[in-house]
Amino acid sequence: MSEMRHATSEELLALRDGEGSAWTREHVAACAACAARLEDLEQMRSRLRALPTFAPPRDRWPVVEQAARGERRRRRLSAGIGTLAAAAVLVLGFVVLRHSKTPEDAAVRQAMAESAAMEQVFRALQPDQRALTGRTAGVVADLEDRLAQVDAALNDPAALRADPERVADLWKQRAGLLSALVDVHETRATYAGL
Amino acid sequence: MTESLPLAEAKSLVARARAGDFAALERLYRTYERPVYTLARRLTRSAEDAEDVLQETFLEVCRSLRQWRGDGSLWGWIRTIAASKALMRYRREKLREWEPLDDDVGRAGDDVPLRMDLEAALQRLPERSRTVVWLHDVEGYTHEEIAELMGMTTSFSKSQLARAHDRLRRWLGAGVEG
Repeated sequence: MSEMRHATSEELLALRDGEGSAWTREHVAACAACAARLEDLEQMRSRLRALPTFAPPRDRWPVVEQAARGERRRRRLSAGIGTLAAAAVLVLGFVVLRHSKTPEDAAVRQAMAESAAMEQVFRALQPDQRALTGRTAGVVADLEDRLAQVDAALNDPAALRADPERVADLWKQRAGLLSALVDVHETRATYAGL
Repeated sequence: MTESLPLAEAKSLVARARAGDFAALERLYRTYERPVYTLARRLTRSAEDAEDVLQETFLEVCRSLRQWRGDGSLWGWIRTIAASKALMRYRREKLREWEPLDDDVGRAGDDVPLRMDLEAALQRLPERSRTVVWLHDVEGYTHEEIAELMGMTTSFSKSQLARAHDRLRRWLGAGVEG
């Protein structure tokens, strides 16, 4: 007479999880050893679930908040770049009408071209995908705040009409700030790989 | 681990957080930091890795809040992000390449009942086995879900679970103490 085969752990686990075969169910009903093992498996699951939770050793919220605020600011910046591109056409049209063939017109065109070129470089760096250390994040936040101020000024046609000479200067500032952002991202940030 | 925030409150907090309310985001963080960190501790090799997973998880939550539609458990959604982040580290470190496929860690005394406590025994399991046993037995993931998360087959997940339980039983002694 051949020896009775016991259920494997995998078969008993399937039974515990409500997916066992008819053979396993019948076997366990007749085999005290496998019934005891099944009870062990159920108890083990309960014990695992009863293990205490862990508290993080340090408060990570300040880091998460700073990074989240930085990402939000960069998203707004990216969106702002699109809006600004449209605004730039209007401003340029205004400047060309008012100052056609003047040295100011050439200066504005050149500053806008520099800003556009730097924007392309900045976008290619995919700043949203980069992780920043706390100190670098602070530098980036400062540059982005200043950039937002320049963008706001460039999006104010009434103010620009009152002071047309300021247009070229604002675009130069914008190109400079974008260039600084590119430098920081290229040298201090690493891909987060998220 | 169970949902610790009523659905209506979760929806309200998420709506505020989407609108840029960082106080709401912090409330979400405070509610789920412990379960996320606990899950990360179980699925990663060190407390430092778990802290990184905690941070990466909530950054992803901040980015992806619009993807939670409010028709399911918020904890379930966050938990999946956390598990993915933990397993991403696991894949990045290519642990699977050096972990023996038969899961025989071959440590001294592996076959000797050591009478260690459950916490120590769980920690002693190979990372892959520990991940499967935790996701299945504690978090309630199905083998199909685990297979998808870990990039393995369903039968592999089942055999990992069985091996993990065999080991735990051996290390804790034949019977499970209450």
